[in-house]
Formats: sequence, C-alpha cells, structure tokens
Amino acid sequence: MPNALNSEPAIRIDNISKRYGRTLALDGISFDIRNKELFALLGPNGAGKTTLLHILCTLLRPDSGVAQIRGFDVVKQPLAARRLLGIVFQEPSLDDRLTVRENLNLHGLVFGVPRKLRRQRIEEMLDLVELTDWADKTARTLSSGMKRRLEIARAMIHDSEIMLLDEPTVGLDAQTRERIWTYIRRLQRERQITVLVTTHYIEEVEGCDRVCIVDQGKVLALDTPEALKRDHGQQLLRIVPKDAEVRQDILTRFGDRLAGDPGKAGDTILLTSDDAFVELMLADFGNRIRSLAVEVPSLETVFLTLTGREIRDHDAGARERTLAFGKRGGEHTR
Amino acid sequence: MTDPDCDIGPDTGPTSRAPATRRSPFFIQLGGLYGIWLREVKRAIRDRGQLVGGISRPILWVLILGIGLNPYFRGEVYGEVTFVVPFTYLQFIFPAVVALNVMYTSVQSAISVIWDREFGFLREVLVSPMSRGMVLLGKVLGGATVAMAHGCLVLLLARFADVPLTWLAVLKALGLMAMLAFALTSLGVVIANRIRSFEGFGVFSNAVILPLYFTSSSIFPLDPALSRSQTRVVYPEWLVTIVEYNPLTYAVDSLRGVLINYNQFDPRLGIAIMAIAGVVLFTIALFDFRKA
Repeated sequence: MPNALNSEPAIRIDNISKRYGRTLALDGISFDIRNKELFALLGPNGAGKTTLLHILCTLLRPDSGVAQIRGFDVVKQPLAARRLLGIVFQEPSLDDRLTVRENLNLHGLVFGVPRKLRRQRIEEMLDLVELTDWADKTARTLSSGMKRRLEIARAMIHDSEIMLLDEPTVGLDAQTRERIWTYIRRLQRERQITVLVTTHYIEEVEGCDRVCIVDQGKVLALDTPEALKRDHGQQLLRIVPKDAEVRQDILTRFGDRLAGDPGKAGDTILLTSDDAFVELMLADFGNRIRSLAVEVPSLETVFLTLTGREIRDHDAGARERTLAFGKRGGEHTR
Repeated sequence: MTDPDCDIGPDTGPTSRAPATRRSPFFIQLGGLYGIWLREVKRAIRDRGQLVGGISRPILWVLILGIGLNPYFRGEVYGEVTFVVPFTYLQFIFPAVVALNVMYTSVQSAISVIWDREFGFLREVLVSPMSRGMVLLGKVLGGATVAMAHGCLVLLLARFADVPLTWLAVLKALGLMAMLAFALTSLGVVIANRIRSFEGFGVFSNAVILPLYFTSSSIFPLDPALSRSQTRVVYPEWLVTIVEYNPLTYAVDSLRGVLINYNQFDPRLGIAIMAIAGVVLFTIALFDFRKA
C-alpha cells in the first residue's frame, strides 16, 4: 500500500471563508481530517457546520480558501470529489413515494454503479442497517429513525470512502440516536472509511477520534475528547459549609476562585479547582464542611466554556417557511 | 499531491473499489438519466391526486362544457351563419383539452423541482457524479412523459367527442404532445427556479396555465372566414392581439390540424414554435439550474 496516500489527509480545509450577505458564516476555517478517523464537528446551531459541509460536497462555493477531498479540489474537480463522498443531509432527502429498495437503486443508478454490484450492495446495506424487512415498503411509511438509517445505507451504495453526516441524530429519541451511532461506528470500522459528522449533542462526540469545536465560523478547539477535557475543561469543587461563619471564611479566602453566583446556589459554593487545591481545601476546612464534591471536566463544560451559554434566536427564512408548508401537507410537495 | 489528470487514485481501501469509476462517464450519465426519468414516472403513477385530476379534468371539459355549449357554437344572427367552422363545439375543443391536460401535468411536475431542490431528492442527485444538464434533462423528460400520458387519457374520450382517430393521427398527435410537454415542463422549471418560497400550485394554475389556455383560441375560434381587419371589428383588438402573440395558440392549432384536420394557421408554424420554445426554455432552465 502506498504510504504517500496514507499520510495525505482525507479532507483538507484550508482557510475557507463564506459570507451570506452581511453574516460571515465561515471565517477562514482550516483543519485536516485524517484517513479513516471518526471526526466530529461540534458547534451550536448557526455555527457554520452545515455551510462547511455543503462546501465539501460541492453544493456551495467558498468565497475564498481551498477544500480538497483526497487531493481533489471541490471547486475545480467537483465530479471526482463527489464520487468519493457519501452524504447524509440534515433534512431527509429520500423520495417518499419510492420504496426503500427503489431509493437505493436510484442512488446506485445516479452514481453509475453497475447493475450486479448495485444489487449486491443494496442487499448488504439493507442488512447492515436492518431494514431488509422493509425493502419493499414506500419510504413514507418509515419512522424518522428508519429514514435516517436508510440514508446512511444509501450513502454507502457507491462504495464511498468518506462519509459526511450532517446532524444525523437531530430530532430522534435517545435509543434511536444510540442505534444510529452504532451503525456509523460499525461502518467506519468494517469498511475502513473516514467519517465526518456534525452534531450539537455533546454527549455523542465522546466516542469520536477527534472533535473540532466551531462557533461563529471559527475553529475554537480541535483535539481528541480526552485532550479537550484536559486543556479546556475546568475541574470544579462543590462545597457545602457547616455554617455561615465557615462559608464567609471560604468566600474571603478563595473569592478569586469563585465560579457562578454564590447567592443563588443556597449554601453551596462552587470553586474552580485542581487536584492540589482539593488537598489544600481538605487540610484547611476538612472538619468544617458538610460535603465536598469534585466535578470532573466533561465535554459539556468544555463546550460551554468555549462557546458561551446564550441561545441564539433568528426568524424563519423563506426556506424554513417553505419547509413548514410542506410539513403541513402542502400540495405537490411530496 | 495527486495529479489532477488522474481521475481515480490507486486502490487504497481494503474493500473492493466500485468498478463504477471504471465505467465510461457516458454510460454513468445515461444510467443516471434513466434513473431520474424512472423516478418521475413512478412517482406520477403513485400520485392518486394527480391521476384523478388528469382524468376528471378532460371529462369535465369535454362532457360538461363541450356538450353544454355544443348547440350554441354555430349561432345564427338574422338567418346569417356567423361562424363557418365546419365542426361541432365538442370536436373543436377536443384537441385543446388534450393541450390543457398536457399543460397542467407538465407544469405540475416542474413545480416539484422547488421541493426536490430545497429539501428532497434533488440535493442528493446534485452531489452525485451526474452533470447538472443530465439531471435537468432527466427531470424534464420524466415530467414530459407523464404529461404525454395524461394527454393520451384525453384521447380515450375521442369517441364521446365524435372525433374519429386513425393510428397515423394518434402517432402525429403523440409527437406534437411530446414537443408541447417538453417545452411546458421546461417553462415550469424556469418559473420554479425563479420562485424562492413556494406557496402552492393554485398560484401557478391561476397565473400561468389558465390565462395561457384561454387566450390560445382553444375555447373559441377566431373566425377564419373573416379577414384580419374584420376579426378586429368582431373581437376587441386586445384579445386578437393576445391570441396571436400567445405561442400556445399555434400548438393547439397544430394539434387541431392533426386530430380534426382543421387549421387556423399554417400547421408548420406550431411545430416550429414548439421546437424553438422547447430549446430556448430548456436552455434558460439549465442556465438557472447550474447557478442554483
């Protein structure tokens, strides 16, 4: 196997910017995705994740910068780049009136998979996502979780090497989400493919090889989940003092370590901490506190530290109104 | 760095790479074209609403309107026959109803482009190795096929309209319907591409289809016995102008020539206009489609 190809990243994103009117969706974003890794793009809604994915799958053109899929420039060689990609979009893109098998077959036809191989792959993939029993049902009869599974199967019909999934678990219940992840991991392991998945569920990225946290079009952090926790996570110490006197004592001594508003938490005091601080605390106040709990850094605290807590609202655009129209069962939409 | 001329990298994966990439690009495009066409046709067959419309529309037009207005068609004024169209009203509107059915269905399937592009299957096809032109061609051909089928549904009513059909006439009519359907589906795509927010088919039906249909000399003839200036005296000038500038007039006229052997204009004019409209509208649609 040629070594040169292994060292080359599966996806290279170099200084990509994209502007929609006055908002800068992507602000000079750069990173590489290594071969055969499970890479998560984590960010709040409106962080630019979908925009980046659309640029990678050649639906959008970047304003500046270069994106390459296995060395193929997405702007200059879109056809070659697309052939390597298997894509699962955020909104379902199945044909509701075709059956499960027909949906897969159409995909195979459009991607130029020869008939014999097409049939073989369809059966393999149906088996993998456990939809064989549903093969001849129309797609509209499937639940949203099953539709997602079908879309994952579809993305693999043409033996794609790189799979892009845009929020594959959004709007699904916890069990279904777990199941979707099981399929993604199994595919990645068995087929040795590279997977780029975007999500805003923090708990989902724990099992990924590397996580890239983006917000407002910028990379905030990129590392393994463990390293992220180590570097950006903050250990917290939750203390309940015995009485008001002790409480005042702690507050005056460690006021600079205070996390959160002490007035709101009742008796509890929340202090930023590390291992040395815990020992110091125990030595000095060990017999004067009711309880002491160490909160290990989680990806959630990392995420919130990096992106802030505020919820960003925006009004529904034309596109969302149209989607709503279709969901109401608007004529000739389905 | 990969050589840009080398389309496919050497085998890397442990699974066998799809021989798909080794097929000639032409066959890939052709297979995809077939896939998209097939999808359009299958969808149409499974859409009950569209089918009901395609059957009930001509029945209403031919049976109710046609039979209802039949006695008034060749009205006499003070013993003088005002129209010299040698046909019954039923026979006269029959070819126009064929055009109407083709029209509704073409524009309807073109409208689905909006939905497909924004939320559905088109997205998935746009990230495939298919070229945009082939995707659009598949879509338009599929829509046109369905529209032609709906046109043929009208032909089944020929017996009730007293229109004798020969195989040759049906064959010629099919050819004309195909051209008309292609042009109209392209028109639908052009309109659909210019619309950002989609609020239903009613808008299209009232703003595009019916005005075009009513002003195409479909439900009333411009009396061929009258000279041009006389016509303008009998009918208001604006109406005559609109009818003459409406390209659909000539399409309906050609169909009439083939089905009941009656022409108000040169039959070749209709064929030429449909062919030109088809090419021009498809080109515009393609231009928009590439941009989107």
